[in-house]
Amino acid sequence: MPAVLQVQDLVKSYGQGDAGFTALGGVSLAIEAGESVAIVGKSGSGKSTLMHLLALLDAPTSGAVALHGSPTASMSARELNRVRNASFGFVFQQFYLTANQTVLENVVLPLKIAGVGAAERKRRGLAVLERLELAEKAHSRAVDLSGGQKQRVAIARAVVNDPAVIFADEPTGNLDSATGSVVQDILFELNRQRGITLVVVTHDADLAGRCDRRVQLRDGRIVETPARTVPGPGLGGVEAAPQGGAALGVTGGVR
Amino acid sequence: MRGRDLVGSAVTSTLRGRIRTVLTVVAVFIGACALTLTSGMGTGVNRYIDVTVATFGDASALYVQKSQPLIELSAGSGPQKYDPDSTQIATGFGVSFVGLSDQDVATIEGIDGVGEVAPVYNVVPTYLQAGQERFQLTLGIPVDSEGVQMASGSVAAEGADELAIPDTWVTDLGFGSPQEAVGATVQIVMTNKAGQQQEFDARVSGVTQASLAGVSRNPIPSTSFNERLYAYQVSGSPEEIPASYIMARAIMDDAGRAGPIQAQLEEAGMIGLTVEDQLGMFRTVINAIIWILNACAIIALIAAGLGIVNTLLMSVQERTREIGLMKAMGMSGPKVFGLFSLEAVFIGLLGAVLGAATGVAAGTYLTQVLAEGFLAGLPGLSLFTFQAPRIALIVAAVLTIAFAAGTIPAVRAARKDPITALRHE
Repeated sequence: MPAVLQVQDLVKSYGQGDAGFTALGGVSLAIEAGESVAIVGKSGSGKSTLMHLLALLDAPTSGAVALHGSPTASMSARELNRVRNASFGFVFQQFYLTANQTVLENVVLPLKIAGVGAAERKRRGLAVLERLELAEKAHSRAVDLSGGQKQRVAIARAVVNDPAVIFADEPTGNLDSATGSVVQDILFELNRQRGITLVVVTHDADLAGRCDRRVQLRDGRIVETPARTVPGPGLGGVEAAPQGGAALGVTGGVR
Repeated sequence: MRGRDLVGSAVTSTLRGRIRTVLTVVAVFIGACALTLTSGMGTGVNRYIDVTVATFGDASALYVQKSQPLIELSAGSGPQKYDPDSTQIATGFGVSFVGLSDQDVATIEGIDGVGEVAPVYNVVPTYLQAGQERFQLTLGIPVDSEGVQMASGSVAAEGADELAIPDTWVTDLGFGSPQEAVGATVQIVMTNKAGQQQEFDARVSGVTQASLAGVSRNPIPSTSFNERLYAYQVSGSPEEIPASYIMARAIMDDAGRAGPIQAQLEEAGMIGLTVEDQLGMFRTVINAIIWILNACAIIALIAAGLGIVNTLLMSVQERTREIGLMKAMGMSGPKVFGLFSLEAVFIGLLGAVLGAATGVAAGTYLTQVLAEGFLAGLPGLSLFTFQAPRIALIVAAVLTIAFAAGTIPAVRAARKDPITALRHE
């Protein structure tokens, strides 16, 4: 079975000549179904750029991104939109909820974009909120929620379309450590119970530590994945063994 | 996103804008309301003119006069040759008219396409006596009887010494109401060429209503009465005075062929005007005024359109991250464009519908108030008349302007790059 996402020799540069800047300088990586992967590195290391390319929000300068084994370069804008809508979920540091809409309206946005009917949207939206223990907040306005609740709503929005992959960009960055760990628990529970692949960009060592695998970036390149020092709770000693990565020669570290 | 959801989202986010939306809607409202009113006024006034023309019954009537009836004063143009055959009609200001002679009437009758010709004598009564009061009197032209609307009674009957008086005269002549005036007798006093005065009893046959055509501002006698008065006016002279008519009414066989007949009249030194011609000038002026007002309303709408551009640009700016999120979640550029243009159209729709409805309501109310007050002198004039197709056209025009205004912000929203938009602070 092909990897959910696979990238080969990914290069992304901005501008040209002296003013040019290379954000990613040749990255190869494979992410298997059901894996949880943390992309870590300092600011400017290229981790956000890598996530945007993986999430098909941006096109690489060179190199290839494959989804379920099929290359995405040849996809039309319409197909890319459909893939992002149907297969991906997004969680961001700033939540990006529409303040004056209700929690339910915020959660069903991906379904609305997909063209799902109103009754079906409501049913699925309420089911997701029920699962995340937010059902009683369904008709509250998003602006009236606490930070932790907002991020849980954002997670509900990310999973309402039953995605294959959730991309989380600093999901705990705006939360205190207590609410942050609640949000982490939810994300890893979704990963474990529903088999949703998790791609997390984070500075948070604790969050990164709970992932199956960490991809360390420095100056736009992958450095060798450090050995797991803190086993994540509840992971039952699953080793951070990058599957498929070997085939692509990614684990070799700095190239 | 489905079409219905797109509309729903656009409506929700428009209403979310509150004050900004309200102000923009007000701007559109003002333009749409003004345009509705001016267009209603155009329809109302033009319809009134049409009805006035129609009540003359005879669109085929040509009113013929000498083409240069005023005998020119010598100043500037030198003396005119004396023509023993011409007949002069004194007006009392030292200015005289040349009237139509029997020969002219024969000429008119001789023109191909002209049927009956009715010449009208110019009768200048000395005064009108009603009870003990005396009034100046200029008589109306008997042929105008056909075009007047009656407040009471009927027009002066042929063969009878009758007179129809304007409704504005009723009180001054000492009558309590138009109904009371009908059947009463007044006296017309004439002076003949020998300087003798004679009193003629005239029965008031009816009371006329004022109209835009202005034919009913003077009392109108019957043709036979007018002729009897004229006969006395020219009597008492040692020599016979040749017949002189202030005008003649010629009935055309075919109203559509007025052009050639008018051309022949002009060749013969006369001018013939249809009722339509006489009111045409008035119509031209009214239409010019209405177009100026329309232009003002359209300028107001264009300004409102710029208001829509501004409102939506601010909205797009504020909602940059929301746009970024929707695009990240797979919403296509065209759908984002649709979302924002629908907002513009919705603002336009609110303003247009409210504006048109208010315009119709205000116009209808004003018409009623004015018909009883300021415009009471013109019965039958419904100043604002609204036609559904016209209103629909105005609403459609406003929506078009709103959509056009919305394209600028909508294109900007549609082109946003999701990553940049999500990073927007």
